[in-house]
Amino acid sequence: MRLITKATLLYLFIMSLVFSISGVVTYKMVMKRVAIETDYSLAQNMDLLKESIKEGKPLDALQNQKTHIVKVQSIQPRDTLYKYAFSDTMAMHPYFKRLEPHRKMVITQRINGEYYRFNMIDIFLETDDVSGGVVNVMTRLFFGLGLILLVCSFLISSWLFQPFQKTLQKIKTFNLKNDEEVSFEVTTTKEFKQLNGFIIQMTDKARRDYISLKEFSENAAHEMQTPIAVAQGKLELLLETPNLQEEQLPLIQSAQIALSKLSRMGQSLSLLTKIENNEFTARETTDFSKLVNQSVLTFKDIAELKNLTLESNIEENITLPINAAIADILVSNLLKNAIRYNLPDGWIKINLDKKQLIVENPGHPPKVPTNQLFERFRKSNQSGQSLGLGLAIVKKICDVNHLKVDYVFEADIHRLIVKFPV
Amino acid sequence: MKLLVIEDEKALADNIKSYLSTNEVICEVAESYQEAIAKLNVYSYDVILLDIMLPDGNGLDVLHFLKKEQSEAGILIISAKNSLDDRVQGLELGADDYLTKPFHLSELNARLKAIYRRRKFQGFTEIKFNEISVDTNNHEVSIEGKQMELTVKEYELLLFFISNKNRVLTKQTIAEHLWGDNVDFLDSFDFVYQHIKNLRKKITAAGGHDYIKTIYGLGYKFHNN
Repeated sequence: MRLITKATLLYLFIMSLVFSISGVVTYKMVMKRVAIETDYSLAQNMDLLKESIKEGKPLDALQNQKTHIVKVQSIQPRDTLYKYAFSDTMAMHPYFKRLEPHRKMVITQRINGEYYRFNMIDIFLETDDVSGGVVNVMTRLFFGLGLILLVCSFLISSWLFQPFQKTLQKIKTFNLKNDEEVSFEVTTTKEFKQLNGFIIQMTDKARRDYISLKEFSENAAHEMQTPIAVAQGKLELLLETPNLQEEQLPLIQSAQIALSKLSRMGQSLSLLTKIENNEFTARETTDFSKLVNQSVLTFKDIAELKNLTLESNIEENITLPINAAIADILVSNLLKNAIRYNLPDGWIKINLDKKQLIVENPGHPPKVPTNQLFERFRKSNQSGQSLGLGLAIVKKICDVNHLKVDYVFEADIHRLIVKFPV
Repeated sequence: MKLLVIEDEKALADNIKSYLSTNEVICEVAESYQEAIAKLNVYSYDVILLDIMLPDGNGLDVLHFLKKEQSEAGILIISAKNSLDDRVQGLELGADDYLTKPFHLSELNARLKAIYRRRKFQGFTEIKFNEISVDTNNHEVSIEGKQMELTVKEYELLLFFISNKNRVLTKQTIAEHLWGDNVDFLDSFDFVYQHIKNLRKKITAAGGHDYIKTIYGLGYKFHNN
């Protein structure tokens, strides 16, 4: 729920409370006022009757349904001379023929030396009418104000929350890899100022950390090549020393192979970082057909040395918007994979058409789900010499270049499919 | 051949010096940009081995200096960065070749000799090894004047052997020399044997001696006796 919707609903709730309470209060006040006015008019009527009695009009002529005047002989204790006694009572309404609330006044007056007791009632303003009126007014006010509140809150909020919306948009489009500082428009709202301040601090820190991490991984990758070169050279010099025992030779060779594996690992990780950092942006379109043909030619030799038959069916003139160097790595890695995980005397089929590139080869079933083989250091055979980075590089290249790559294992055949964008 | 190694990593420079120094090669080492410039101002070298990353200056500045001096020395760049841009930039500034760390010393040796041959004997270059002679201009091999038919890989293999005669060459080194980065993924380099076998057969069939000695489990050595 939007903040402004929440606030508005809360306001409406508070408003309804306030209006109910003020409705009750208003009702009470109105009723009190009405009672005072009714009492006043009863008292005035009584004064008029008093004058008529003074003038000697007969009491009967003055009486009616609402007015009773009785001549009293003496003042009884309960009587109150000259003192108005007002009370509420129920009396029959002459037209509606039902009991209605009335106001009653009882007073004893001395006129021409005689005592008269006045007992007068007057119809009270109907409570139903009063409460109805109050509810009516309150409801109209409530809805009127509510409507104004709604319209204003939505109009004002879009203006008030504009800096906030802009901040959100900035955060949404923020990308660590774009080496850009985050900046915000100046706002006069204190909270938004604080928020923007925090975000600038946070993103700056994230950017600094990211850059130093990136530099570290780049530097680590190539700084380690020199010590490896030193160690490798020492081993070669060791091989040149006279009187080497035959059993020492495999030790040297194992060390050499381990060193070259270490070096390749550094290079592969730095390549992954570079692809991630978009250092290979496609400025050109690459003739993919030509590239695949070249790769097939390069690896045919090696495949044949391993007794594998290589079969290719490559459609001509297929171009892709991809950096040529990175496309070459993509195809090479797929072919290397097919050679490495093949069966003895196996085969490799390469198929390229407008929609996709398929590389397939027979092989043992993978020990982990095929889609997991795209993860770094995930290999079907953990003890093998492979680095477990080849397919991770393939996946990364495909991701960056909007290609879709799938690994399918079916009927003892490994099939890697790279789908091109339509 | 007079060689200047410009490399700040002393252990690596030592490796190169001890591996390459023979009767035919005089090797000197400069450990910084300043030292390199000082040496280059006084002496002349046939080949310069240049590490692109130096503590007190970019190795590319050495290239600029050599270009300005119109030096005739061949230049081989070694770099820890395997980046295409660096490679292209280096070659554009007049370097002859580019080698990425880590490298096999035998590979370095073969490349330096190739540069030396190209620079020194621009017209006619023939390498002789007893009865075998290799014409590196026309990529032709003959034994006692009789021409031999070799495949490209066999030719490269023979040249690699002769460049590194009397040295132990592991199967991995040979495989990487012949196929470069394209074989780095393989667990075993036994397939090199196929090419060795064919080369051996062709040389002996043409009346040459079998100089290729197998070192069991490790590799091969092109041996003089």
